[in-house]
Amino acid sequence: MKNVAIVGIGHSKFGRRTDVNLAELAFESIKEAIDDSGVQKKEIQNVTVGSAGGWYEENLPAVIVNEYAGFQDVGTMRVEAACASGSAAVRSAYLSIASGEADVTMAVGIEKMTEVDTLTAVELMGRSGSYLWEFENYGMTFPAYYALYAVAHMKRYGTSEEDMARVAVKAHHYGSMNPLAQFQKEITLEKVLSSQVISWPLKLYDACPITDGSAAVVLASEEMASKLSDTPVWIKGIGFSSDSANLSKRGDYVGLRATVDASRKAYAAAKISPKDVDVATCHDCFTIAELMAYEDLGFCAKGEGGKLVREGQTEVGGKIPVNLDGGLKAKGHPVGATGVSMTVEISKQLRGEADSGRQAPIKNGIGLVHNVGGTGHYCYVTVLSRSK
Amino acid sequence: MASRDEPPTLHSKRSLTLRFNIPISKTSRFWTGLAEGKFVTTKCGDCGRLTFPPQADCPNCMSGNSKWVELGTEAELLTFTYVQITPTSFVDHDPYVVAIGRLKEGLNVLAWVEGGDPTRLKPGARLKIETRKEAEGGPYYVFVVTP
Repeated sequence: MKNVAIVGIGHSKFGRRTDVNLAELAFESIKEAIDDSGVQKKEIQNVTVGSAGGWYEENLPAVIVNEYAGFQDVGTMRVEAACASGSAAVRSAYLSIASGEADVTMAVGIEKMTEVDTLTAVELMGRSGSYLWEFENYGMTFPAYYALYAVAHMKRYGTSEEDMARVAVKAHHYGSMNPLAQFQKEITLEKVLSSQVISWPLKLYDACPITDGSAAVVLASEEMASKLSDTPVWIKGIGFSSDSANLSKRGDYVGLRATVDASRKAYAAAKISPKDVDVATCHDCFTIAELMAYEDLGFCAKGEGGKLVREGQTEVGGKIPVNLDGGLKAKGHPVGATGVSMTVEISKQLRGEADSGRQAPIKNGIGLVHNVGGTGHYCYVTVLSRSK
Repeated sequence: MASRDEPPTLHSKRSLTLRFNIPISKTSRFWTGLAEGKFVTTKCGDCGRLTFPPQADCPNCMSGNSKWVELGTEAELLTFTYVQITPTSFVDHDPYVVAIGRLKEGLNVLAWVEGGDPTRLKPGARLKIETRKEAEGGPYYVFVVTP
């Protein structure tokens, strides 16, 4: 496999973006990533678009996005791995270069979720399991799936609603320093704990919002990267895995097997261990998901996720700062864009370009992207590094 | 959806209703069993693997030689949630409790807990599977809490 670098990053403002359509929203990130990379648009040989889709009017997002941005004769596809579609797009763009097929590629993540009403979005997400056995008769929702994990984790390890609430408070703290975040306001523990119950024990402020947004990265071969960039960020390893569609087929509900497996593969590919990671994004679609991610990625022992956040170890200055962009919780979670957004964020962190107050100290030059699709149905873990 | 503070959007005049015809011929015995008050599933005739939900083809040895067996209905509650914000197509339903229970055979089942007080439910509680018939006639199954 050849070395592959991230040489350009672009990221739209996340939020309720009724001011732009799908292609216009993607264009914001595509233009920024190309400008940042210094490549000519015509040098980009293929474009992979990560999008879950279903909540916007277009059925073929890849060609809609490419046409608007003026890509001609590029190889393209839309990839789907639910909320990990963005990481799947990055992997596809990465492999094209790692295999020697191309020298310059682009991955775009895009989602437009506010074109349908909120309860229809809730329905579409709730159908993301094994439809006949979980939705048809039992009306599962996304919060409900993660609530099943939360109750089991609380029972087994004594994790409290307050531990989960701390994840939301941290997310909003860093979101307040990220001008691209959907929510840029601090919140209190009391506000989280007293918010409306959506699927007990998860409350409104345990959940990420419904978001429109896009992100893009330009990837280049070593030869191209040396000409283009003084600050290339290298993709050192990608691990990906999956688990059952139907939640009832899983052995326990205190962690995501797909995360454990994907991270083990990513650490092996990058030849690192969890303690080498300077900064990470973890898939915090719900607060309990972030606590489980700490454990499943090996940042702490199983069952100690609550303790890690209580001690402030996942803040700037802690053992392993996590989600300094506000995470899915405060930055927002435009499903297909999220994995690319995380890749952009970790690239910024490793370049030392994060906004004031939310830059992690970089010692080993290593960052990690953890991106879950569905309820642990898919998982992608990507290790990025400042050095080849 | 647009409020006064929001930019103009074109509210599409074309609406789309999706209602799927889901093939169940290979597992029809499960649904007819429910209608008779029985809770059955598939067992591989070659390697013996039990599966729930039922499936015609064995995920272990890939044999298509499955047979139907009746399951016990006692379960232990592994985890649950009280769904208070329900999806569009459940908007007429009251909030519901969903649980995953483990059968004696080691299989997990996801279903509503009927009549359970969500403030008193706990993992470890004893549940029983019972069959039900919807107003429109479709059979389904629920958990009830056993004392």
